[in-house]
Amino acid sequence: MGSARLSRVQAVAANTFRETIREKVLYNLVFFAVLMTLSGLLLNPLSIRQDEKIIKDVGLASIELFGTLIALFMGVSLVSKEIERRSLYPLLAKPVSRGEFLLGKFAGLAFTLLVNVTVMTLGLYATLWATRRGAGPELLQAVLAIYLGLLLVVALALLFSTLTSSALALVLSVCVVVVGRFADVIRNMREVAPGVPAWATQVLYYALPNLRNFDLKTRVVYGDPVLSSDLGWIGVYAASYVAIVLGLAFAAFRSKDLQ
Amino acid sequence: MASDTTDSPLQIVGLSKAYRVGFLARQRRTALDSLSLALVRGELLGYLGPNGSGKTTTLKILTGLIFPDSGSVSVLGEPLGSRGWRRRVGYLPEHPYLYDYLTPNEYLDYAGRLFGLETGTRRASARALLAQVGLEDSADVVMRRFSKGMVQRVGLAQALLNDPELVLLDEPMSGLDPLGRRLVRNIVLDLKARGKTVLFSTHILSDAETLCDRVAVLRSGKLLAVGRLDQILNVDVSALEVLVSVPGASLPDLPGGVRVHPAMSERVRLDVPEGALAPVVAAVEGAGGRVLSVLPTRESLEDYFVREMGPPAEGTWAPRD
Repeated sequence: MGSARLSRVQAVAANTFRETIREKVLYNLVFFAVLMTLSGLLLNPLSIRQDEKIIKDVGLASIELFGTLIALFMGVSLVSKEIERRSLYPLLAKPVSRGEFLLGKFAGLAFTLLVNVTVMTLGLYATLWATRRGAGPELLQAVLAIYLGLLLVVALALLFSTLTSSALALVLSVCVVVVGRFADVIRNMREVAPGVPAWATQVLYYALPNLRNFDLKTRVVYGDPVLSSDLGWIGVYAASYVAIVLGLAFAAFRSKDLQ
Repeated sequence: MASDTTDSPLQIVGLSKAYRVGFLARQRRTALDSLSLALVRGELLGYLGPNGSGKTTTLKILTGLIFPDSGSVSVLGEPLGSRGWRRRVGYLPEHPYLYDYLTPNEYLDYAGRLFGLETGTRRASARALLAQVGLEDSADVVMRRFSKGMVQRVGLAQALLNDPELVLLDEPMSGLDPLGRRLVRNIVLDLKARGKTVLFSTHILSDAETLCDRVAVLRSGKLLAVGRLDQILNVDVSALEVLVSVPGASLPDLPGGVRVHPAMSERVRLDVPEGALAPVVAAVEGAGGRVLSVLPTRESLEDYFVREMGPPAEGTWAPRD
C-alpha cells in the first residue's frame, strides 16, 4: 500500500476512533473496572484458589461480552450510519476510494477495541493484584484470542453495514455471532435432525464463523497450557476470515449507489 | 462566453441514469436522460431545474456517489473513474452532514488529510477558509451546537480546502439566512474572479440571475436549454414598468392597454405598452402627478420557467427568495 493510500486509511481510522471516544463508548470501561474491583473485594472471604478462578473467569468473560457488544453496536453503524446521515458524500468526492474508506473504518474500530480490551485487561490484572491472587502472563493468551474473535465480529458487522440499514445489520450480525458461538451444534445437527443433508451442515459449518475457536478462557483459567501453534492457528483463521469478509464488504460497497 | 469544449474542465456526453423503484425495485424511474453538457474554463454555470429534475443526480454521478447507466464524463481532462482529478475538485453536497462531534478545525483537518495536504497547508487553509465563511470564532466549537447555516458554511469551507480548479456546489444557499447567502454569493464571485470553474445547482432563480455566466436548465432529467441568460430568455422589451406619483392616487384617463397595479399611498405602478409611454407621461403630468421611474420589462428566469414548465407546484421551485 502506497504512503498516500495508507495516510488516507489512517485518517479515516483516526476519525472513527475519535467518534467512538466522543460518543462516550469508552465510558463503559470505568463501569467495568469498578465492577471488577468490587467483585474481587466481595470474593475475599472465599477460598483463595476458587475465587482466583472465578475472578479470572468473570473478568475474561466480561472482556469478551463488552468487546462483542462494542463490536456489534459500533460495527453495524460503521457504513450504514454514514450513508443514512449522508456524511459520506463529501468524503467520497475526495481522493479516498471506497476500499480505503472501508479499511479505515475497520481499522478505527479495531483500534477502539484494542484500547478497550487493553484497559479492561489492566483492570483484571489490577483486581487480581489488589486481592493478592496470582496473575501470570497466560491470561494474555486468552485475551489475545478474544481480541482476534472481536475483529471477526467487526468484519461481519461491517459487511452487513454495507448491505443494509443499521437496524437490520444489527439483527443479522447478532444472529451470525450467536450461531458462531454454537458452531458445534451445526456440525452435529444431523444427530437431532437426520433429515438435514450432510452437505448442508458441512457448508453451514465452514461458511459461518466458528467463534468457539477463540475461546481459550477455560483452558487458561484451569491452567491447561496453550501452545504457540494453537494461537498461531487462531490468528491464521481470524486473518483469513476477516480478509474474506472484508473482501465481500468491498465487493458489495464498490458498486453501491448512495442515493 | 463561447462554448468551446476543447479545454472543458467538465464534459458530459449522453449521461443517463434510472433508479429502481417500487415493490421489489421492479420499476425504473428515469432521473437523467442522455444529458450532454460542457463547461467552459473559468465560467460560473447555474444548473437549474425544479426538484426532481436530475440536478443532484448529476452531481452525485460526478462525485462517484452513484453510477451512471450510460454515457461518459471527463473531469479536468481525466475520465470519471480516475481518482486523480479529485485532488483538483471541490464538492458541497446539498444539506451536508459533517460529523457533529467534530469542530470545524477538526473536520477540515480530516478533509485535508484525505486530500493529501501537508499539516502546515491544512492548518493555514482551514484558518483562512473559516475566516472567509465567518466562523473563525467558532473554529473549536463542536458542530453539534451549530445552526444549519453554520454547518453549511463549514461545508463550503471543506469544498474549497484544496484550492480546487472546479467547484461543484449543490444548492449552496440552502438553509442560509440573508447574510449567509450574501456571504456565499461573494465567495462564489471570488472563485470566478480567481479563474475557477463553478457548477452551481440551484432552484432559486434569483441566485442564478445574479451570479451565473450561463445557465443549464433541466426538466425531468433532460437538458431543456443551455446558454447565456440573454440567449435563453426573451430579451426584447415588450413593455415598460412605470412608477408614478399622483395626488390622492387618483389617476387620469390613460391610453388603452395600460395595466394599473394597486396603489401604495400616492404611488401607482403601471404596465405600459412600449408605444404608449409618451401619452401616459403627458396624462400623469397633466393631472399634477410625477413620473418616478421607467423600467423596461424583460422576461425573467421565473417567466421562463413558468412558460416552459407551467406554474410551480408547491415546493418544486423557488422563483424568488
